Amino acid sequence: MANTKAGLVISVKEVTSLPHQPDKTLLQSLEAQNIEVHYHCREGYCGACRCRLLKGQVEYSVDPLAYVDDDEILPCCCHPLSDIEIEFS
Amino acid sequence: MKYTTFNQQNNDALKEPMFFGAPVNVARYDQQKHNIFEKLIEKQISFFWRPEEVDVSKDRIDFQKLSDSEKHIFISNLKYQTLLDSVQGRSPNIAFLPIVSLPELETWVETWSFFETIHSRSYTHILRNLFADPSAIFEDIVVNDEIKRRAADISKYYDDLIFATQLWQTRGEGIYDIEGETHTITMRELKKKLYLCMHSVNALEAIRFYVSFACTFAFAERELMEGNSKIIRLIARDENLHLTSTQHIINLWAKGKDDPEMAEVAAECHDEALAIFTYAVEQEKQWADYLFKQGSMIGLNKDILCQYVEFIANQRMSAIGLGQPYAVKSNPLPWMNNYLNSDNVQVAPQESEISSYLVGQIDSEVSADDFGDFDL
Repeated sequence: MANTKAGLVISVKEVTSLPHQPDKTLLQSLEAQNIEVHYHCREGYCGACRCRLLKGQVEYSVDPLAYVDDDEILPCCCHPLSDIEIEFS
Repeated sequence: MKYTTFNQQNNDALKEPMFFGAPVNVARYDQQKHNIFEKLIEKQISFFWRPEEVDVSKDRIDFQKLSDSEKHIFISNLKYQTLLDSVQGRSPNIAFLPIVSLPELETWVETWSFFETIHSRSYTHILRNLFADPSAIFEDIVVNDEIKRRAADISKYYDDLIFATQLWQTRGEGIYDIEGETHTITMRELKKKLYLCMHSVNALEAIRFYVSFACTFAFAERELMEGNSKIIRLIARDENLHLTSTQHIINLWAKGKDDPEMAEVAAECHDEALAIFTYAVEQEKQWADYLFKQGSMIGLNKDILCQYVEFIANQRMSAIGLGQPYAVKSNPLPWMNNYLNSDNVQVAPQESEISSYLVGQIDSEVSADDFGDFDL
């Protein structure tokens, strides 16, 4: 995973901001800060962790199979490429 | 339009809609209109498993130790799951294959249904282990009122679509009187029936299994019926993939990325689709009530289970544009995630009862006595 950039900030809208941890998925970074995220498969095929990406860019480490809308991402199999802002519905 | 097993017309499947276009001819997968179905086929095949790989022999001892109310919960859930997979093992094939127009979707439907038959076979595997003769359990499935009511509701939309398709394929569009009932067959009506059927299947895959899953995993949390829980974990993993496929189909229609007429049908039938889902939620809650009427089990009761159904329903409904109608915001059964996580499905063989790693195995039991005549 080409995911070593340090110092990226993840903002969860109306909740908190936290640092992205290099070499972790977005979901793992959120969990490391005790943010409760609903998940099942953690491999991108169930879509349980689906959230909206409001700002910034992410890259997928595996091709997500679950349905994601144009403005949505699956935190379980992606990592940020820039500072990002996300929102859980 | 008459069904043909090999459409002689030279058609470009890339220009066909998912359903009700030209029948499929060449089963080719080098190009796809919707490549998601090809990816789902590959993922599903990579999940292949056989019920016999999971050793359920310890469950028999656990089962004897369960209270009567717990036995009722365990067996009733198995009956319900058997019903669901009986339907799903055949219905997608019979309902969707005659009208499908994309080779990758056709193969996905066949792959999907095939895996449901593995699930059905695994219920027999579980029950055969628990009872010398499981006939009484299977026979009750068509007699038990609680299960029958659900069966009627699940098969209704399938049967409707299948019958209308048969009329259309044998007689074409028109109005037909059959056994005192009038049937109007138009392409629009067929598409409506297909749309509602897909929503009914989506609701089935999305929530109908989850009350039973929660009970199974609640037993496993107490280290009971663990062989059964391993099988259900494999089943849950497959069902998640099936759900992904129905969500894709529904969203492709709704967003106008497939058949433009289906986008109109989606808008027109929004309320009916919502009603199908919310009714399934109500039925699941009633099922929880039926399960716990003889007493609850440790770690789970009717209220928590109903909240979990609503929580899951919110997630599933928002994925197909039906909003989040229920008030539950956080997961009332957080440990469920551990069982539904695919990392935890493939357990280390030495730590579990999975015996598939033993090639030509005879006896998996090793006791200290076996080393009695061992000298170093």
